Formats: sequence, C-alpha cells, structure tokens
Amino acid sequence: MVFSSLLFLFAYLPITLLCYYAVPRKWRNLVLFAVSLLFYGWGEPVYILLMMLSITSAYFFGFFIERYRTSAPKKAKWMMILSVAVSLALLFFFKYYNFFAENLSRLPLIEIPGIEALKLPIGISFYTFQIISYTVDLYRRDCELQRNYITFGTYVTLFPQLIAGPIVRYRDVDEQLRERKESVSDFAAGVARLTVGLCKKILVGDLLAAGSEYFRHLAVLENTALGAWMTIILYTLHLYYDFSGYSDMAIGLGRMLGFRFPENFNYPYIAKSITEFWRRWHISLSTWFREYVYIPLGGNRRGSARQYLNLAVVWLLTGFWHGASWNFVLWGIYFLVILIIEKAFLLKVLDKTPAALRHIYAMLLVTLGFLIFSYPDLTTAKDCFLSLFGVGCVGATSAVATYEVLRILPLILLAAIGATPIPKKLFAALREKWKPAELFVPLLTAAGLLLCVAYLVDSTFSPFAYLNF
Amino acid sequence: MNVKRITEILTLAVFLPVIFGFAIGFLLLPDREFSEQENRSLRTLPEFTLEKLASGRFAEEINDYFADQFPLRDPLVGIKGLAEIAMGKGENDGVLLGRDGYLAKRRFAMRCRDGRILPDIDAFDEEHVRDAARAIKRVSDGTELPFSIFLTGRTLDVAASKFSYPSAYSDALLSLLREELGDVEGYIDSVPLYREKTEAGEEVYYRTDHHWTTLGAYYAYGEILRSFGMEEEILPASAFERVTVSDAFYGTSWSAGGMKFVSPDTIELWLLGDEDRYEVTADGRTLEGFYSYRYLEEKDQYSLFLDGTHDVVTVKRRDGVERPTLVLFKDSFANSVAPFLARHFDLVLLNLSSVRTDYTNITAYCEEYGADYVLLIYTLENVVTTNKMNGLR
Repeated sequence: MVFSSLLFLFAYLPITLLCYYAVPRKWRNLVLFAVSLLFYGWGEPVYILLMMLSITSAYFFGFFIERYRTSAPKKAKWMMILSVAVSLALLFFFKYYNFFAENLSRLPLIEIPGIEALKLPIGISFYTFQIISYTVDLYRRDCELQRNYITFGTYVTLFPQLIAGPIVRYRDVDEQLRERKESVSDFAAGVARLTVGLCKKILVGDLLAAGSEYFRHLAVLENTALGAWMTIILYTLHLYYDFSGYSDMAIGLGRMLGFRFPENFNYPYIAKSITEFWRRWHISLSTWFREYVYIPLGGNRRGSARQYLNLAVVWLLTGFWHGASWNFVLWGIYFLVILIIEKAFLLKVLDKTPAALRHIYAMLLVTLGFLIFSYPDLTTAKDCFLSLFGVGCVGATSAVATYEVLRILPLILLAAIGATPIPKKLFAALREKWKPAELFVPLLTAAGLLLCVAYLVDSTFSPFAYLNF
Repeated sequence: MNVKRITEILTLAVFLPVIFGFAIGFLLLPDREFSEQENRSLRTLPEFTLEKLASGRFAEEINDYFADQFPLRDPLVGIKGLAEIAMGKGENDGVLLGRDGYLAKRRFAMRCRDGRILPDIDAFDEEHVRDAARAIKRVSDGTELPFSIFLTGRTLDVAASKFSYPSAYSDALLSLLREELGDVEGYIDSVPLYREKTEAGEEVYYRTDHHWTTLGAYYAYGEILRSFGMEEEILPASAFERVTVSDAFYGTSWSAGGMKFVSPDTIELWLLGDEDRYEVTADGRTLEGFYSYRYLEEKDQYSLFLDGTHDVVTVKRRDGVERPTLVLFKDSFANSVAPFLARHFDLVLLNLSSVRTDYTNITAYCEEYGADYVLLIYTLENVVTTNKMNGLR
C-alpha cells in the first residue's frame, strides 16, 4: 500500500487511528505491529514471510549477543556477524541474485541460471538496514536488548517508514518504542506534515514525473536538445518531490502516532557543492552508511589513502543499494569521483567562487547524476547525455516540445521555488508580524487535502519511485 | 486559548471529518455501475480470490474500485480539471482546452509498424500510416467500382486554429497521406475544407465531441457526391429544415477532459420531410428511422444517428424503388452522413470497428452486397491508433 492512495487515506488510516487510540497504551505496539503487517501484506502477501524471517532471526541473535557481550566479546562479535550475514544474505538473494547470475554467466565457463519468478520484495533494502542497525547497536552497547518480540517487530515493520524510509536507527526510537506520549499538538503537527507530503507527491511530484516521461517518449520520435534537458530536469525535480514528500508523510504519520523520526531531507537542491548535497539528500541513508560502514572501516583516521578506499567502498555500496543494475553502480562511482575531487582541492576553490556559480555547478552535477540514475540502460543514458548538446537531435527544439515546456513552466517554477526554504521563511516572517496567520495552517490543510483527493480520484495509480530500491 | 492551540484543534477539526467522512460516505453510498458524465463503466467490487491476492492484482483492483466509487467523484474530477487549467496547463487528462469552448483530444495510443503500441503520444508512426495508405491504394487500384476514400480529421486537425497547440504533427500526417494517396482517384483530401470552415466560424465539428456536426456531415455529403461525379444531384442546404433537437450534448472530449465548466453542444437535424420513406435496419432489426430519439435522454446523444453502433446497417426505400447500392466501410462518422446519402443510394453500412465481424475484406463484401459504389469513411484517429486500414484487401 502507498500513502498517496485513496485506499490508504480513507480506509486504512481511519481504521488504524481508531484502533490505535481506542486501546490502552500497553496494547498500542501490538496494534501497530498488526496493522503494519496488513499494510505490508496488502501489496506483498507472500514476502511478508520473508520479512518475518528476517525479524525473527535478528530477534533471537539479539539474545546471544546480549549474553556474550560482557563474558565473551569474541563470541558476541561472531553472533553479531552471523545475524548481519543472515539479513544481508536474504537481501542479497532477493535483490541481487539475478543480477549476479546474469553478469557472471557472461564470463567464460560460468553458467548460473537466473530465477525468473524472483521479484524484489518491497522495502527490503530499508527494513534490512533497520534490522542491521539494531544488531550492531546492541553489539556496540548503544542500546539494550529488546526482549519483547512485538516491540521489536513494531520497530521494523512500523508502517510509516517501512517501505521507503527514513531509515530509523534502533537507538533513535528505542525509548519511544517502550514509552511515548501522544498529544493533540503532535497529532496536529503530524496532520500538517502528512498533508505537505501528500501535496508534494500528488500535486507536484507526479505531474513532474508525467512531464519527464512525456519528453522521454517524445525523444523516440523527435529528439531535441530542449527535450533532453527537460527530461532530466523534470526527473530531478520529481525525485525530490516524490521522495521527500514520502519522508514528510512518514514523519507526519509517525508524529500522529507519537513517534519522532529523524529528518531525511534538508533542501538538497540549494546545495552549493556535491559534498553539501549529500549532507542534505536522503540523510538517513548517508547516516547509516557512515555509522555502519565508513566509521567501522576506519573512516578518516587511518591516513588519506585508506580514507579514499573507505569512501570508495561506501559509494559503491550506496550506488548498488539503489538497485541491482550497472547504472546505479556507475552513479555511485560518479559521486565518489566528484566527492574525492572536492575533498582534494575543489572545495577550497569553490569557497572563493560566487555563490550563484557554485549553485549552478552543484545542480548541474546533481542533474547529470540523476540522468545516469534514471536510465537502467547505459546506451540510452549516453544518447540522452549527447542529446543535451544537440548530438543526434533533429534540432534545438520542435514546435511540440516548445509548446509542452511553456505549458508546464508555471509548474516548474512553482516546484523550483518550493524546493527552497523561501516559502517556509516567508510564512515564518508573516507569522512573526501577524499572529493569526497561524490559522492559515488548518485552511491550507483543508485545501491541500481536497486537491489531493481530487487528483487521486482522477488519476491512474502512481506508486512511489523509491519503492523499487 | 492561544492561537497555536486553536490552530491545532482546527487542524484536527478539518482532518478527522475529511478522512472519516469520506470513509463513511464510501461505505454507505451505493455503488454506481456507469458514469454518465464520463461515459464509461465504473469498477464495481472486485471478486476476491487467493491467487489475485497473492499476485497483487486484488490490491490493484480494489484501488480502481475505490477511485471509481469514491463519494463526490464527479465534482472532485471537476475540481482537478479546474486546478489544471488554473495552473496554466491549457489541458487536462490529454484533452486540450481551446478558444470558444473547443475541446480536443491530443494524445493517442500510437500504433507502430512493428506492432508496438506507445500510449499517450501526440505523433504517429510514419511507417505504420504509410503502410495503411498503401493498403487503401491497393484496394482502390484493384476495384472497377467507383471508390471514394474519406479519411475524417480529428478535432485537433480540423479545428487547429482554435488551439495554441502547434499543428506540426497534424500537418505532417496530412501531407504524408497526400503523398501516398494524392494521385488516387476518389481520395478526398477533406481536412483543408474543414479547417477553412472552422476558421470562418462555422461549427463543422462539435466543440465537445470528436464527431462532426450535421453541418459538417452535410459538407462531407457534398464532397462524396462530387467525387462520384454526381455534383448536379447535390441537394442545396436551403432544401433542408434545420431542427435543433438537443442543446445539452456533452460529447466524448467533454467526458474525457474533466473540464466541467465547458458548455455543451447543440445537435441539429437536417430534415426534408421525406424521412418516413426510408426503411432502416440495424443487424436485422428495423429501426424507427434515421434517428433514434431515445438517445437524447442519454449521455451519448450522437448515437441518435442510425441508432449508434451496429455491425450492419441498411437503408432502402419503403416503396420498393431500387437505386444504386452504396456500400460504406466506415466508423461512427458515417452515421450522420448516411441520411444525406440515403436520398441517392440504397445503403449498406459495414462497421470497420466491429468487435464481432471483420469487414476489412472490401472486395468480398462488395460482391456479397452487390455494390455499385464503394465508400470508405474512417477517422484519422483510428488510422493512427489501429491497424484496420493496414489489413484492407
């Protein structure tokens, strides 16, 4: 199930809220666990077993890690490694088996059959990382053993962040899982946040995606440089609205249930370098890789050669995490190279460059990065890249391409402004001067919800782009 | 209470009634089988099976069911249409909003020569259309009978001047057809005429429907008789009494576009007073005449002409006077031209879009029905999106 569906908003959510607030506090985790399994099983009834297997394994390994933690650290370490290995093995098999089978079979003398029926379980990349964070946190004594299976299950399956993050580290919600206070304030703030997310996704993201898709199709018939630029610019904007919209909904829903999840985006498109971009984009994933890969490998404490190697590992994995396909690997390498160059000298140069230029530099590289990201087929990606410079095009633009750009220009401008903190700052300033401006919140919530429902009623079903990772 | 607290309570007061209200409304309101406004069947409660659940198909069907049966669906669809126009997009759901309340479908499923179908594309596959034109040419070359070809334009083609959307693809399609069929005797290059009439302010196509108006059909009638060399017999427009039978015709583009603020069309009939002289049958059943007035009570009022969709429609004189037989291989555009043609010919209309029978074997059907004249009336939309023309023989 996805949040931006009528079924979620007008069947699942009311039932969930009713059950959740009708039962006493001590039963609430059980309610959440049950409805979360329903949420997951709705679209993925078979793979629910896989997720339960992954949860159960980590839950039991937890006891062993706890038992040996003080008495036999070596054993504890092995238990931790084993537990992580089980989770990773499942992830590897279901997400990457076919990729490796196909690519290794290209080598001489190797023949590994693919498994056609294997399809990617929704959210496996997200929940596997959450499970690993528990195991490792426990081993590192960053958290206590969770003895209650329901509570642990709730942590992993919690429907707001189950299928597309934010990736919540166990120790960040440990306390909230045991004891949390729901309040009217939190609920109202959650509602506003959920509405913001819905609007981002439905009223902006989906429309940008449709625009990008249109230009992508148009290129087959009538390839133009303008069309190629629009394809990737719209795709880049769409990805932000789609994914950060999802995070907003997750955070909002969490708050309605009394949880505080970490932020996942911080206006990434105002970044003035790629280093800064990655501090603002998909923060929970970067944090995870830093905590559980980069720092354990030694981070930057073992000399610069080792640091570059560690960065390489992290970025290959980051790329690969996004999908079992070469373009994602290339995408990871692309950012690795840029980040190393920035670290080596470019950041110092950028510091002396005017802000506008730095911004253009960063966004150009981000956009080109998403070009690689959006084409699983590298040949098509190359063609699109060349088209940006007019290679293989019928012209700079065509009558229809120009018409289409002018038509969605207001949407693009709106989306561009909306991706900056400007609207939020303006509203804060207004509120400062005129207190009752606060009352716009329920008004805008009502208008936003109504528009979202109108768009949902009159649209074909559009799942999240990030659902596939 | 401070402003913050009031805001919080108001936010809940907005949110909770909305989600619970729609949820309860959805539960209580009865399901609709058909949407008059959208002119399509709505999804009803899907049947549950374990296989469907496991494959995820049940979830998809439930989603469609929810959207189709959602409370206040029609006004909500209208709100979305308004929002899109307010954003300056100039169209909604692939339907363009033009000047003077014209609506035109812009995107079509594009059929390619290799059989692939690309959804939602404005352009056409050159190879596919060329192949279709060549098939038409082959049939025309192969027959001894007078054979006229009338490929009707889409609103997009004929009312190009009403839209800011560029006519580039339209022009390319027309010149491609001209290139392939220009030297075929009987090919009627009709779109320029309709463009001219539209520019002159005549409503030759409905504003909200993809069909031509009765005026547009009258022009087609003239062109067809001219192409058969019967120019002298064309009945002048002044001979007809024009009767408006509907001023609330909401056509297919209106249904698809969700722009509910666009005003409806009127439907005119052109009557001579001799209408009861003709016997009209559809799939073996005798109709009340050229016009089935009961459709005026329904949404799909264009079906008034020759009773809508049938495989085989015939028109004869009741008094037994025999006239030359004209066999039409056609889609729905022909239905409103038929009454004009019936004054000169006995008619047999064969529906090329039929899902039951394949009428693409023109040679065989001409023989079967004893054709003296043959006419192909087919819309460019169908030329681009289907492979019916490519299979003509």
